[in-house]
Amino acid sequence: MNIADSLWAVRCVWLRYFDVFRNSLPYYLVTTFIEPFLYVLAFGVGVGSLVGSLQAGGEEVSYRRFVFSGILGQTLLFQGFYEASYGGFVRMYYQKIFNAMAVTPITLSEVLWGELLWDATKATVAAEIVAVIGVAAGDFPLHAPLAVLPVAFASSLLFAGMGLAVAARSRTIEEISYPQYLLVFPMFLFCGVFFPVESLPAALQWAAWALPLTSVNSLMRTLTLGFPFQARSVPILAAWLIALVAFSRRAMVRRLVK
Amino acid sequence: MLLRIGRLTKRYRIHDGGFLEAVADVSFEVHAGECFGLLGPNGAGKSTAIHCISGFYPPTRGEVLIDGINVHADPKRARQVLGVCAQEDTLDTDFRVFDQLVRYATFFRIPVEEARRRAAALLTRFGIEDKAGELVERLSGGMKRRLQVARALISRPKVLVLDEPTTGLDPGMRRALWEILMDERAKGAAILLCTHYMEEAERLCDRVGLIAKGRIVDIDTPRSLIARCIGAEPVAEELRPGVIWTRPPNLEDVYLKLTGARLHEPELTA
Repeated sequence: MNIADSLWAVRCVWLRYFDVFRNSLPYYLVTTFIEPFLYVLAFGVGVGSLVGSLQAGGEEVSYRRFVFSGILGQTLLFQGFYEASYGGFVRMYYQKIFNAMAVTPITLSEVLWGELLWDATKATVAAEIVAVIGVAAGDFPLHAPLAVLPVAFASSLLFAGMGLAVAARSRTIEEISYPQYLLVFPMFLFCGVFFPVESLPAALQWAAWALPLTSVNSLMRTLTLGFPFQARSVPILAAWLIALVAFSRRAMVRRLVK
Repeated sequence: MLLRIGRLTKRYRIHDGGFLEAVADVSFEVHAGECFGLLGPNGAGKSTAIHCISGFYPPTRGEVLIDGINVHADPKRARQVLGVCAQEDTLDTDFRVFDQLVRYATFFRIPVEEARRRAAALLTRFGIEDKAGELVERLSGGMKRRLQVARALISRPKVLVLDEPTTGLDPGMRRALWEILMDERAKGAAILLCTHYMEEAERLCDRVGLIAKGRIVDIDTPRSLIARCIGAEPVAEELRPGVIWTRPPNLEDVYLKLTGARLHEPELTA
């Protein structure tokens, strides 16, 4: 198989998603960007005015800046996971568009790469907008949106892989709620979005570091707030990324192909 | 020949842990300008066979050659000349009718301007040009079905595979679609038509393969199948208790004689 052909096919699938996005831009703008705004407003400004500043990563930092950086990770998690899980399930089960595309000169493998890359693109764009707002608010340095881009894209792909795996393994759309409440929400609450992981008991710190969002948040705070680099975050992120992308693709092929 | 199926077998694991041989040792060919019918009731293995023929399912054994290209070894090249209309609705509901055809055409590397010309012509041909700007989900069932067949034709395929294309169409729409398919056949396309409608198979197909429990039980022209298996004598049929009529023999009689099963389950009466 020719690599250029495959790249062209993946681009074709990605463009299909981009077309849909462009055609429904107002809807997507609201659903994609309103959520991070609300979190920053509620926790950064509201709770931040009560907390003031905190000690994290060996540095004194305002709570608003701390949360703003955490919202980057939260945006990547929610946007990547939900687009690939609920969106992926609808496309796979109700619309059957994976089946429709995979009987053209585009293979199922390429369709799934296109799906994952689109989900990751959408989540990355959402996080980049949060980063730009962070710069505008004076909470992030000017270079932050560019600096976070590689980590944002890798993390988006990771969470998209998680979502697509869930879509592939769920018999009904309601079943997506299980990983949503048992995995995504615990990550959102305990992996350093709203408070430093170091403030958890030792056993819970270990559990938090085993989950990918803690590494994402750690890297984001290094890149946006100048927190010390935690070397373990890179291998943890890479391991989750490779495992989830590979597993999600395999699970979806098994779901669709007898 | 444009489509050659050689000893195609598909076996897969089912929910109770056992295996089902959905397609067993199926072989046939479809030539340019020929319509070949795969006739059998629901569950006979037609759709699984189509998934294998389109390259979506890998076969357990056997091969599928489309214009001489093995669809499982080189799916991209083989599918460049293949048009598929699946039994289930696979229309992309995120697009409007016209845009859907154009987007689908790009998967075949058809330039957008050319795709737009073809899409406009197809919508006119299928009688849904006034729905070009509609969202797919607003179409009636019959319109959706026509759109799905139209989409299969956007790449002007040499081989057209249609799984129950007229299900849900009223008689008028069904005849209109038959005319389009006959037109494609006259232009030289090889058509594989999976159907459980006996009348459709008799009207459209040059040859018919009767499929039961995944196996082809006989292949011939509809007329020869009827002549060989039933003969020319009218068949007596009991419409309801005490009411008997005679009619010419048809493929349903052939299927019943060869397999012991009907193409359609008789309707339950109160």
